[in-house]
Amino acid sequence: MVLRIRLARFGNKHNPFFNIVVAQARSARGAKPLEVIGTYNPIPKRPTNLYDENAEARPYKEISLDRSRAKYWLGVGAQPSDPVWKLMGMAGLVAPKPTTYDKA
Amino acid sequence: MPPRIQSRSVSNTLLPYLTAPSSSSSSLSSLPSLSSTSSQCLSRQFSATAAPQGQTKLRRQMFEWLNNEGSVFKHHVPGEANYLTRLKQRGPETAEKSRPFPNNQSFFSEPILSEELRNEVYNRVVEQKKSVRIVSVELGIDMKRIAAVVRLVELEKRQRTQGKPLALPYARAIHEMVPTTPLAEKGERQTYHEPINDLPAHPLTGSQIFYPVPESRSFNRVEAGRVFSGAPAMEHSEAAEINHPSDLAEKIIEDPNSIGWVGKGANARQILQPADVRIPHPHMVALERDRLANPNERLAVADLQSKRLERQDAIEQARRERIQARREKKLTVVSPEESRFDYRIKDTIYTKETTGADGRGSKAAGRRYGVPHRDRTRGEVKIPTRVEA
Amino acid sequence: MRNRASNTLSKGKIRQSWSKYNLYNLQRFRSPPTANRTFFQQKWSAKAASRAYHGEQVRERQWKRMFNHRIRSVIPMNAADLAADDGSLVSSGRGSGLDKDGKSAYQTRPIPYSHMTFAPLERRLDVAIFRALFASSARQARQFVIHGAVTVNGQKMKHPSYLLNPGDLFQVDPDRVLYATGHTKTSFERREGRLARRKAKSQKSQEAEDAEAAEAESKETAKEDIKETPKEDTKETLKALLAQAKSVMSAGKDTLAPQRKQELRGFQQAVRRVLSRSESSTILADSLEAQFSQLTLLLKAKRSEKPVKKEVKPRPEDAFASDNGDTEAVSAKRDTEAAVSDKLSEAFAQATLGNDVDASELSDEEFDTLQRALTQMRDNPLDNSKTYSTPWQPRQYMSAFAFIPRYLEVNQNICAAVYLRHPVARPGSAEVPTPFGESIATPAYGWYLRRRW
Repeated sequence: MVLRIRLARFGNKHNPFFNIVVAQARSARGAKPLEVIGTYNPIPKRPTNLYDENAEARPYKEISLDRSRAKYWLGVGAQPSDPVWKLMGMAGLVAPKPTTYDKA
Repeated sequence: MPPRIQSRSVSNTLLPYLTAPSSSSSSLSSLPSLSSTSSQCLSRQFSATAAPQGQTKLRRQMFEWLNNEGSVFKHHVPGEANYLTRLKQRGPETAEKSRPFPNNQSFFSEPILSEELRNEVYNRVVEQKKSVRIVSVELGIDMKRIAAVVRLVELEKRQRTQGKPLALPYARAIHEMVPTTPLAEKGERQTYHEPINDLPAHPLTGSQIFYPVPESRSFNRVEAGRVFSGAPAMEHSEAAEINHPSDLAEKIIEDPNSIGWVGKGANARQILQPADVRIPHPHMVALERDRLANPNERLAVADLQSKRLERQDAIEQARRERIQARREKKLTVVSPEESRFDYRIKDTIYTKETTGADGRGSKAAGRRYGVPHRDRTRGEVKIPTRVEA
Repeated sequence: MRNRASNTLSKGKIRQSWSKYNLYNLQRFRSPPTANRTFFQQKWSAKAASRAYHGEQVRERQWKRMFNHRIRSVIPMNAADLAADDGSLVSSGRGSGLDKDGKSAYQTRPIPYSHMTFAPLERRLDVAIFRALFASSARQARQFVIHGAVTVNGQKMKHPSYLLNPGDLFQVDPDRVLYATGHTKTSFERREGRLARRKAKSQKSQEAEDAEAAEAESKETAKEDIKETPKEDTKETLKALLAQAKSVMSAGKDTLAPQRKQELRGFQQAVRRVLSRSESSTILADSLEAQFSQLTLLLKAKRSEKPVKKEVKPRPEDAFASDNGDTEAVSAKRDTEAAVSDKLSEAFAQATLGNDVDASELSDEEFDTLQRALTQMRDNPLDNSKTYSTPWQPRQYMSAFAFIPRYLEVNQNICAAVYLRHPVARPGSAEVPTPFGESIATPAYGWYLRRRW
């Protein structure tokens, strides 16, 4: 069996929210995973206009991640799904995945 | 409704300029037209025609009142409160004047900060870099209010530079209607805007407790706080160390964890501290004590006080920085070139402590499994409960 | 939600509103009689009266959930008292405190707890907006929130029932505030606004066609224009400007609206004319802000140049009139000139020379009047496109309701306020604004103390 680090969708209609989970590859999306190691909120938040330093700040998305657990699971061969690879790449846990045009 | 004809009044949009501190008398005297036109209108009745047949008695009475007694409320007089209580009032009583509701004896229209005082607060905090605590004591303004004023003035400055619309005539009118605390002239003492050492009544102190104390022993505020919170009395040696309850304040500012706890588990709570600790400006008590101890050495006392404030300020500053550093350490911000967004990555911890024995702990990261959502239950607050600044 | 917030005279209920009906009701309100009435009846009528004012837009069930029997209070402490005594004085003797004259050591006024019954409602966003004097009633404040004109901590908040937390900054769109607190438009003003809108619409469509043609033309005619303007002209315009300023400043409230508007408009045109003659009018635009800064600069320069002399010339009234008439007559012609000469900058040197000559004739006071009239023009302009009567003036009967409670810190210029803390009671006063006295506050508190649900 393959272990995957993937996203599990929560939240509501038009209001997605993801848990970053470690689960068996063939298990259902909503099934109870082995571990929940973080969250990802894909709805961007806009910085308020109340402070000067926010004047040209970009909207941001929130990620929370347990780095040590992520490293452990990567070490024992868990495979991140593409979206999780992207998030982990930003956290510096894995090398960014080469894009298709990079390969060519 | 009968036609509305503006009766006697003052010009409320223009008077602000006319009563400007510079040359107010001269500009007023150069207005012969003001008095003549207003007297003309005085004689005008509210309605030239007879009251319509359909008008009820109550309605007629209302308009009668509005045209006679109530006509004073139609327009404000700059610089004067214009509340209903002025009708009942005979002699000039200042306290009476600021009561907006005739029936409510315990609500007063309190003065607001004048524009100059507001700017002075901003000036002292931002430009002169004084601490909020010191400015609060100097001007007699609550520390929370000072923080708010700084925030608001900063926002105003930015909106001015951005050319956003402002409500200047409205602001001027409000400052004419509502009593204000002016900024003191150079050399004068600043009048205090509000009491700054408010002690919030703690719910524990609501109960009446019968607690016999030997007459030989002095029972002070520190011990009363312990009795209220159900903590055992202090050891004699410990009690002897505390000369005055305000000694405790100094200790707690340096180490907030020195406050003891009563109870266990979820019922644990901190021991109720004396008023000297819980007021916003504990250092003022220490200053008064120094003054009592050395009545003839004003300079030395002042020097001692400034040193004490500096020390306490440094401690508070260090604590704030530590908290800030801890928060920043947990958060990394990544801004990829190819993305329109920043990504804020926060550290979480996955352990038995956070998830709990059954893996359903509320402190764990992410949405929980095996726990029903409460978002549709009755009585649950479904709108946001806070907005991050 | 059904709107029960009407200020009917027959019911005589007091509402959170600045209407004159409400003022009358507030004035004639008497506490309900207690004689021959059961406690239940007394509490019922007290509750009914106070709920009509406090959170009338909130369902009873919702309010009952919010109610808390515990009431926040504070005692202002005196540092000197605390320093003088460690508390043992109060507890000495038999616990009642020893004092010299047999009086108790600390004398305080009673804390009006029961006036604080409805304190939790003051946390609501709509109520706080009303208390900050940004809306003329709680209902209107609620509408502002629902219509998206309110931000909390810089983010749009669409829930009127949002409970503010200490430190929250809320801000209302200044235009809405001016609308809520200002005079309503007369039918005459509404019509003018309509016409202006229609005109702007048709102009927009035309402009696209005319833009190219006009530009070429202006470049040719402009130079001729400047040569034509003689020095006398600038002198006169400044005089006229002053006359206009004086009439604008002197006009009382009682001057009929159309006449006053004419004066204001004339003044605005005169200002534009002077500007068109002054130097460095590169940014001469319709924007009042730019005009104002230009003119004040001009005035300051003149003031510093001019020798100090303080003679006030008494001007006869008829001279004013003729001046006014004059400017009115030529203004139309001049305006087109000004519009044409917009884009010029260098050629204004001549005109400024003329202005300097004028400056020496103005007295200090006249400068003052002019400056203040200019400030007014900038801050409180005549603008028919607004939803309220312009120039803005506070609505009638507003002053009787104008107070700002201590738990809010308001900046009126930007229509923003900070909710500092929850309202508290202190000896002798309660911070929750309520029009009712002890005889209603206490039974109403008693009503909610007992759980009936």
